[in-house]
Amino acid sequence: MNRVTWTQIRAIVRIEMKKTFFAKRGLWIYLLALAPVALFLTHSLVEIHQHGARRQMALKNGRPLTERDFLAIAAGMSRDEVTARLGDPPVSRSRTRRVRTGRNSFSAVSLETLRYSDGNNELVLTLKEGRVTGIGRVSGISLGQDSYVFAGVFQFFFIRLAIFFGCLGIFMNLFRGEMLDKSLHFYLLTPVRREILMLGKYLAGLLAATVIFSASTALQLFALMLQFDASTVAQYLDQNHGISQMAAYLGVTVLACIGYGSIFLAAGLLFRNPIVPAAAVLIWEAANPVLPALLKKFSVIYYLKSLCPVEISLDPGMPPLFALLASNPEPVSRYIAIFGLLALSVVVLLAASRRVRRLEINYATD
Amino acid sequence: MSDRIVFDNVSKFYGDVLGVNRVSLSIPPGITSLVGPNGSGKTTLMNLMSGLIRPSRGHIRIVDLTPDQPEQLFHLVGYCSQYDSLPKGLTGYQFVHSYLRLYGYDRVKSEELAWSAIDRVGLREAAHRKAAGYSKGMRQRIRLAQSLAHNPRVLVLDEPLNGLDPLVRAETIALFRGLAKEGCHVILSSHVLHEVDIISDQVILMSGGYVAAEGNIQGVRSEIEDHPMQILIRCDRPSELAARFFGEDHVVEVKLHNDRRGLLVKTRDPNRFYLLMNRVALDGFAVESVAPCDDDVNSVYEYLIGTEEATR
Repeated sequence: MNRVTWTQIRAIVRIEMKKTFFAKRGLWIYLLALAPVALFLTHSLVEIHQHGARRQMALKNGRPLTERDFLAIAAGMSRDEVTARLGDPPVSRSRTRRVRTGRNSFSAVSLETLRYSDGNNELVLTLKEGRVTGIGRVSGISLGQDSYVFAGVFQFFFIRLAIFFGCLGIFMNLFRGEMLDKSLHFYLLTPVRREILMLGKYLAGLLAATVIFSASTALQLFALMLQFDASTVAQYLDQNHGISQMAAYLGVTVLACIGYGSIFLAAGLLFRNPIVPAAAVLIWEAANPVLPALLKKFSVIYYLKSLCPVEISLDPGMPPLFALLASNPEPVSRYIAIFGLLALSVVVLLAASRRVRRLEINYATD
Repeated sequence: MSDRIVFDNVSKFYGDVLGVNRVSLSIPPGITSLVGPNGSGKTTLMNLMSGLIRPSRGHIRIVDLTPDQPEQLFHLVGYCSQYDSLPKGLTGYQFVHSYLRLYGYDRVKSEELAWSAIDRVGLREAAHRKAAGYSKGMRQRIRLAQSLAHNPRVLVLDEPLNGLDPLVRAETIALFRGLAKEGCHVILSSHVLHEVDIISDQVILMSGGYVAAEGNIQGVRSEIEDHPMQILIRCDRPSELAARFFGEDHVVEVKLHNDRRGLLVKTRDPNRFYLLMNRVALDGFAVESVAPCDDDVNSVYEYLIGTEEATR
């Protein structure tokens, strides 16, 4: 590429950025990207509040409690046994309920709820007539558990829906939107090779998608970490591969934008109605685990799943659709996944460049 | 090296719909007007010239280049299309400047060319306003500025005078004349026939996707043999002269002018008529002027394409 070509690409990117970042019709893409941020932020704020309440409860305990103390409580134990083991409950609530014992006879049953906390987890005991009948555990904040939830949201919602539809909105509009606005001809009347025009537009779309969705990924991780103290976060980052996991999530985000971007740019050149390619690609991506081995490779999610740092385990109780989406029967190595996805994107872009070379302006029929 | 725009047996079909059919043209530099009713193929011809669409058959050459060579062609060609739309979010200046960068000019050169073009269309004061808020005439002018900012040798303009007020219209016509004088091709389509008449060096009359006639307007008129030419004669004794003309077999109609100071004569043979006029002058008639009065675009258009389709 010579200097003029670079100047042209930069000029196209500059024109497109204004349209992509500040378009009113693109507002929903920002909302889509920010939805999981809002989810994790809300979760963290709720956890921070509840964690504070549990710590207060723990301070009211007669003595400090541990996980072992909680595990020692079993159904059938008397209230005295419980208090002997855990001390006086910091929170208790008792009430009496009338229970029918015969046609016209009732008896009063005393019920009591005891709550203990070790400062993080909560133990809720239900006593009936002074005996433990129900044991409830409310787990406190756990980075391990939350990072697993994050992995689920990232794979099921963020990649498959947010980035997918975000890229649909950004990349399909690069050509199709200008045909609808009747302004594409301005580009086609300049001394720019059509392939260079397509490349410039793709890079502009990629820049926009990457900035929006990578920022979203970073904000999601930040929102998730917000509930933990600095030492827990430092430990996660230093000792539990936290930095490599975060880098992997950001990398997968960028690669998802590259892959879906190329597909929807090509779709924008081939289809008038975005619903058709969106539905087709969505189904194709969802059906990836059951496709033949060769066809699997023509899918973006096939490569992305192998790059996600936390694998979603297939629990027996998982709904079939989620089980299908989570399954990854043929994972590939990181390098093959990256190279494969980039190669797939290049192939799609080459096919799109053939289409753009033969593109004619006939707004009346578009 | 040819300086012509050549269409060689060019046809364009949109599916089953005819755009243009078997068009062969050789357009020299100067102002060339495409005239024809809606759907006659004017815009198709212009889009073919600029490579926005491709011919179904035939070949097009624009001053030795083909529309398949955008890298070279669009340094040479500027096209102001009929689409009244502008890219979103840009000011008038940004619109002209941004697209100039695509020509490979650096920032300084692009700025210089952009302001020069904006000045040519008289939009400097509004240049930093969002183009979306421009009036129709201003949008037309900024699109015109964008199409001529890189100083093309071939300027293709689809209905360029639409929406312009009389003053700007006159200035724009002067601009076209200036460009034509510099040796540029200015190819425009218009429905305003009297303006076409005034500014065009040659016309191409289109009808139903075919070229009905082409060339300078007088030449086209003289080629229409089956339609008598109308000539206005200003003289001192119009009634006597009328009686004299009735004896000539090539004269098909003689009418006294409304002001009774002249005659309108229709003749099938203008050459014989002008010879006759020489004899008339020798016979003592004081002839002030003899001028054809139907060799303008409007008349030719009516003769060739039909009165019902003539816009004026």
